[in-house]
Amino acid sequence: MQTLSNINVQLNDAPLDQDAFLVIDNVSKVYPTPSGPHVVLDGVNLSVREGEFVCIIGHSGCGKSTLLDMVSGFRQPTEGQVRLQSEPIVKPGPDRMVVFQNYSLLPWFTAFENIYLGIDSVWPDKPKAEKEAIARDHLALVGLAEAADKKPKQLSGGMKQRVCIARALALRPQVLILDEPFGALDPITREELQEELLKIWTEHQVTVLMITHDIDEALLLADRLVMMTNGPAAKVGEILEISFPRPRNRSRVMESPLYYELRNYALDFLYRRCAHDDVE
Amino acid sequence: MTAFVVIDHVDQVFPLPNGQSYIALKNINLEIRKGEFVSLLGHSGCGKSTLLNIIAGLAQPAAGGVLLEGRQVTKPGPDRMVVFQNYSLLPWLTVRQNIALAVDEVMKHLPAQERRDIVEQHIDMVKLRQAADKTPGKLSGGMKQRVSIARALAIRPKLLLLDEPFGALDALTRSGLQDQLIQIAQEHHLTCIMVTHDVDEALLLSDRIVMLTNGPESYIGQIIDVPFERPRERMAVVNHPNYYALRSEIVYFLNQQKKAKQRKVKQAAIARNGLEKINLEIGFVPLTDCAPLVVAKEMGFFQKHGLEEVTLSREPSWKAIAEGVTSKRLDAAQMVAGMPLALTLGMGGKVPTPVVTGVVLSRNGNAITLSKRLYDEGVRNLADLKGALAAAPDRVHTMATVHPASMHNLILRYWLASADIDPDQDMHLTVIPPPQMVATLKAGNIDGFCAGEPWNTHAIKENIGFVIAHDLDLWIGHPEKVLGVREDWANQYPQTHLALVKALLEACEYCDDRRNRPQIAELLAKPEYVGAELEYIRAGFLDPYDRGDGKPPEQLLRFNQFHIDITNCPSRAEGLWILTQLARWGITPFPRNWIEILDRVRRMDVYGEAARQLDFPDLEPNREPFALFDGTVFDPDDPIGYLNSLRIKREIRIEEIDIDHPAIVVAA
Repeated sequence: MQTLSNINVQLNDAPLDQDAFLVIDNVSKVYPTPSGPHVVLDGVNLSVREGEFVCIIGHSGCGKSTLLDMVSGFRQPTEGQVRLQSEPIVKPGPDRMVVFQNYSLLPWFTAFENIYLGIDSVWPDKPKAEKEAIARDHLALVGLAEAADKKPKQLSGGMKQRVCIARALALRPQVLILDEPFGALDPITREELQEELLKIWTEHQVTVLMITHDIDEALLLADRLVMMTNGPAAKVGEILEISFPRPRNRSRVMESPLYYELRNYALDFLYRRCAHDDVE
Repeated sequence: MTAFVVIDHVDQVFPLPNGQSYIALKNINLEIRKGEFVSLLGHSGCGKSTLLNIIAGLAQPAAGGVLLEGRQVTKPGPDRMVVFQNYSLLPWLTVRQNIALAVDEVMKHLPAQERRDIVEQHIDMVKLRQAADKTPGKLSGGMKQRVSIARALAIRPKLLLLDEPFGALDALTRSGLQDQLIQIAQEHHLTCIMVTHDVDEALLLSDRIVMLTNGPESYIGQIIDVPFERPRERMAVVNHPNYYALRSEIVYFLNQQKKAKQRKVKQAAIARNGLEKINLEIGFVPLTDCAPLVVAKEMGFFQKHGLEEVTLSREPSWKAIAEGVTSKRLDAAQMVAGMPLALTLGMGGKVPTPVVTGVVLSRNGNAITLSKRLYDEGVRNLADLKGALAAAPDRVHTMATVHPASMHNLILRYWLASADIDPDQDMHLTVIPPPQMVATLKAGNIDGFCAGEPWNTHAIKENIGFVIAHDLDLWIGHPEKVLGVREDWANQYPQTHLALVKALLEACEYCDDRRNRPQIAELLAKPEYVGAELEYIRAGFLDPYDRGDGKPPEQLLRFNQFHIDITNCPSRAEGLWILTQLARWGITPFPRNWIEILDRVRRMDVYGEAARQLDFPDLEPNREPFALFDGTVFDPDDPIGYLNSLRIKREIRIEEIDIDHPAIVVAA
């Protein structure tokens, strides 16, 4: 751990806590291509505590989504291992739920039915009334009790994303994986959903891994911000400790002197040390 | 100078299906210089794209018009190119063909070879040589947007219009394009108008940021001049001492608009208890000396005087306080001592808004903090500081205060000038809200500041600064914070105003009883008030004051003074000193009718009536000459002689100020 005044930065050579809740242990992902192997991720190490909120930031092509796909179990590492409570992750499961930017709701089902579907497939033997109660509770949790019978196309982007979060949480996952969930929303809705997510996370005590491109979003939400180096062969560059006291409130966070220091530190990492141009 | 683009009193109205109409824009008036980069910022639905479409000629305004180089815009044309968020490229054409299509259409008169050269040159400009033969389907979002920028610029428009050009891109890809756009705009001296809702983007790119209020009937709420030098570079901009101050000013504007959207209807006055209005919204800035307001609320003094529904609104800066009171969003506010006078005189070229004060809420409480770097260079006193400035003539030393009309600014300037340091020539003075002082000092973007507590103590505890002087070294018992209300408000609600002053007088008395201070410090530490560590709030307020210069902390019994020694009297002589200093530094003219101005602003009648009703003495201190630390005597009978005697000063304007009939200000 290196200390720069108030800023705590963990460098990528720090030893990995092998017994943590979630461990990404020396993970590499390589795809064969006609012109030779393409290394997307090269030796990523990260350990996450139970109940922690971790944000991951990096330029496009740094393999952040690939990394989360290996936590959700959609992909397997070429080398290394991802473990949840010491068990290697080999396939997707309801203990790790993913929320994507593009909602991925079934358009012919209502909000309620979309949530019920997930519950029903994980707990087919539970009584119907109980499953319906779970669905209703989770719609209420995201403030959508009124919209239960609406179909996705009758909902705004923010409402759709709320349904997705409710659907994911209804299955009581141990890890909630969010892949840039608010990227498609307008700034006001985005701020509202950030605040709501913060509240839900506080109540549910779920472990969260979230990809974002927005430094301010990460500073508001996360305990730690994982900053990735540029691809190919991306790895964890540095991890920034975000120590604002909780419960957090946006305006209080923004008025803390630490906020500016952290923000400038992250900006410097992304725009100077890991400057990136998307020209191929 | 004639403006390049003139948006002349534009209204836009859309018919609604029910036969009524929706007024989207109301009276938009804006002039844009050639080569200027202007951003239009606001929430969705504020009409910013509507305005851009009118400038583009894609829509006609319901009233008013747009002139480009003196000619009215009536239809779209190649002199105004628009870049939209969704790229709008033809999917079956390659990058090169998409650009060529526009060039061939608009520049028919040029030989084919020349047109081809223009296309190739613009492919290079946006660095897409490698992708020139690809169709849009094979490009990333960022690359597609670069093609539309190249296409727009290839036909050499006079004006480039950008409608949320990077809105569909993720924040990091966006940054790459912003960097490229800055570079292109600078190299080609483009005049640009960009619609955005990204605050950082607006600050990075613009010369001016025009902020629109929410619709319906959107109008220009505020215009921010962005002072960063060009050519600009992202990290240098972020590290500018004013970056976060400007950023939070814009965020604050947007948040106010967001709140207004949610609130919609402002609560009407509730009359009760013999008062015209018992529901008040009172602004304060999180500082230790907001104590009287917090005490009046928490200890029931507002309630006791019939003010049953008082909300204290925590404001991020003094500028927000001034805006809140002049715009009638706030009924009243804690203000820096010079603010009512400065607003009444129309500081900063604004229309004068008469604001009055019937009670001084606190005296003293400020300090001048310098960076640890200066301490390490041996600076211990003002003479040392002068030496340090002389020793580093190439280095610009920047100091911050909290508002131009604050005692912090006036006393810091007075202090510097007393040692022959010209605050505008030998140093650079800037304004930063109190909560941002410590971070800005720490980042090395300023060399010192003058502010109230807990911010000096915060800097000392972080070991980044030391207090070179505090108020008890400079002017013991100077007026610091006052209650400010608009004069028309005071006239409309006279009994409410009196009740408010009475409640605050009692709260001030409560604050000066040291037995109450431990409890008050705990109240102040709460997040809804100051929200700082208790230890920082207690410094000077209750505990010995540590200057951070290695000497043992001192007990300063008058560091925060709320009631003793006629603290609360808004005496006119002190107001006159403030007027001379505002004029000395060119902040306002000096009013030839100063007696009238002081009589209107410093409401001795309200103070006297409130004091008598509470059985407090209603005395005004004797009208006699007084002096600050340097011994220069200020004689309230000869303010102009005093101004003339000052060595370091700006050009002093002496004007008759008619606050009831403000002269119409004609822009030069």
